[in-house]
Amino acid sequence: MLKHWTKRKLIDGVFQGFTYFFSSISFLTLGLIMVFLINQGWSLLNFDLITYNYESNTYLASIERFDDPCDCSPTIALEEGVIYSEKWGIGVSEGLDLLGQPSIVIDYIHTDSPFKTLTNKSSVGPETFPLLKEYLISKISYNDRAASFARRGAARLIDELDSSNSIYEIEVTTKGGGIRGSIITTLWLIGLTLSFALPVGIGAALYLNEYAKNNQFTKVLRSFIEVLTGVPSIIYGLLGLAIFVPFTVALTANSSHPATGGNIISGALTLAVILLPVIIRTTEESLKVVPNDYRYASLALGASKTQTTFNIVIPGALPGILASTLLAIGRIVGESAALIFAIGSLVRDEITLTDKSTSLAVHIYSLMTDEPANIALSSTIALIILAIVFVLNLTIKLISYRFMKGRLGAQI
Amino acid sequence: MSKNEIKKLIDKTVETIFFGTALLSASFIIIIVLVIIQRGISPFITDNDGLGPVNLVRFLTGLIYLDGPTFLSNAYGIGFLIVSTMYNAFLSLMIATPIAVLTALFIAKIAPRWIADILRTVIEILAAIPSIVYGLFGAGVILDIVYDLSVIVGVQSAAGLSVLSTVIVLAIMIIPTMTVISEVAIRSVDKTLIHGSLALGASKTQTHFKVVLAAAKSGIFTAAILGVGRALGEATAVSLVAGSNRSGISFNLFDTTSTLTSTMLLGMKETVGLDYTIRFSIGLVLMVVILLTNLSLNFIKRKVGNVYA
Repeated sequence: MLKHWTKRKLIDGVFQGFTYFFSSISFLTLGLIMVFLINQGWSLLNFDLITYNYESNTYLASIERFDDPCDCSPTIALEEGVIYSEKWGIGVSEGLDLLGQPSIVIDYIHTDSPFKTLTNKSSVGPETFPLLKEYLISKISYNDRAASFARRGAARLIDELDSSNSIYEIEVTTKGGGIRGSIITTLWLIGLTLSFALPVGIGAALYLNEYAKNNQFTKVLRSFIEVLTGVPSIIYGLLGLAIFVPFTVALTANSSHPATGGNIISGALTLAVILLPVIIRTTEESLKVVPNDYRYASLALGASKTQTTFNIVIPGALPGILASTLLAIGRIVGESAALIFAIGSLVRDEITLTDKSTSLAVHIYSLMTDEPANIALSSTIALIILAIVFVLNLTIKLISYRFMKGRLGAQI
Repeated sequence: MSKNEIKKLIDKTVETIFFGTALLSASFIIIIVLVIIQRGISPFITDNDGLGPVNLVRFLTGLIYLDGPTFLSNAYGIGFLIVSTMYNAFLSLMIATPIAVLTALFIAKIAPRWIADILRTVIEILAAIPSIVYGLFGAGVILDIVYDLSVIVGVQSAAGLSVLSTVIVLAIMIIPTMTVISEVAIRSVDKTLIHGSLALGASKTQTHFKVVLAAAKSGIFTAAILGVGRALGEATAVSLVAGSNRSGISFNLFDTTSTLTSTMLLGMKETVGLDYTIRFSIGLVLMVVILLTNLSLNFIKRKVGNVYA
């Protein structure tokens, strides 16, 4: 008898051990992912990354506020080797450009410096742009003396700069590798998609929960919306390519920036369709939380159905609607396959609603399919995406527990 | 018009608007199906700008993606892609199912409460990670591991781009979804079944494995159906680790592979004409593959599920 029990316990222990072992795999995966991303991407993660352009460009530029040197002393302690010009408000040091040639690197720029606004004289690029840290200067030419060249060193450049009173033109190479464009695109996509999807989604949820009769037709409507959740996102991409791209091209044909192919608006429309079932389901859950007594009380007091819906039901369901909005934002930030079809995967710096550009997720795809793949920058972007997604999910969880008695449950 | 009539008119208008939004939401699935069918069929029935119609039989059974130069040939074949897509999806399901089910069992029945709470949060975080990040993780970590493994085993591997990497990435991606659904199924197993089993002298672990899992079978199948659907339709993550194989069926774990979705993404940046429309045909095939897989899994679920119902 005793022997039998020990054997049983042994077998039970082995089986239980299996569950412990398999459960640890999820911990391990999450740990590995975070270690990998932080290891690869942390060093690039700083504020400059999100303000800088992706492309590095060389521009010829003139100073907007001509003949207007400032009298500025540096507001921070400058590093060793940085030579500062109080007259022009820039601190520079010697460095190397992308080709390994000696160049002058901007280390500090005063907020009142005339270099803060440069007018672009090249035919491409923005009309005006600021001189920023880590930009490279290769040449400055003056109206009142001979030009300075980067190869002669930082000290001489600052000397010559200080002895001049008027700059004719400056040759600047901007620092690339930033994700400013992709961030702007992502923000546009969030704004546009929500403005398309929320009214339709909330309206549909209101109809299904408040108005629809419990009949066969409603069941069909529901099942059609339910089926949308199972469609892979690449198929939505095909929908965007076939319907929304031509639609936006036709719509903007007479505008100042006509669309020619995939664009942000067609991408937002595609995302809106992807998000509809999510928004409808979450909103419906939140509508169910509003007690029926409230509706009856409102109707009994003489309010019409419309008044009840807008004054009683929607305010009561607001936390849930907010949760569905946050959920939708998370999906927009993470979506890649559909957007590659509906917008394209060309990284851009100047964002036009009717032109191609990439969201953060597609930016990763673009970097990873380039030769060679840029894992470091991809990991940095992934960290930013994960931070956004985690904060959103945490907020959704809080809303769910606080207002909806956990009704939203796990969101998958 | 009396005040009451105006109220009624507003009510009617508002209801109609809401009905319109519901109808619009429901109509998108029909639009998707119609568009994919219409665009997907056109390469087979039109002249394709002088290239001639694509041969449907060759398309569905072919072992070479494109026989001839791009833009100059209509000899497309995706038979090998259908096979490798299913192969990858089912292998990943084989890996993911035991992990997901046992993790769910652990969370629902075995773990102390605080461990279960932490683990559930971990699973939810994993479920929220976008697929492109899994693809990046696969390209940065799993490719290296698989390559090292191939060196140890002594087989050729293209920098780790292989069936094995694809399957691992897909499995990692579907485990959270499957775990959450399996957990719900395991939790909803009737308590009387468990008490009955324990009263008959079975140990706790015996009850968990022989009664609880058997009773939750139907829910576990639902999890598998969702998981395999996601694995079949995943595009960007797969395209980063698969290695875009262009011809031939290979079941070797270390060979490069490709799926219907990764092929649709390939060269999307700069394409026109037949090479562009053929992607809709691949999309149509993908939808049919997903539909058939779902139906057959649902069929099996009905056959074997609900042992105690």
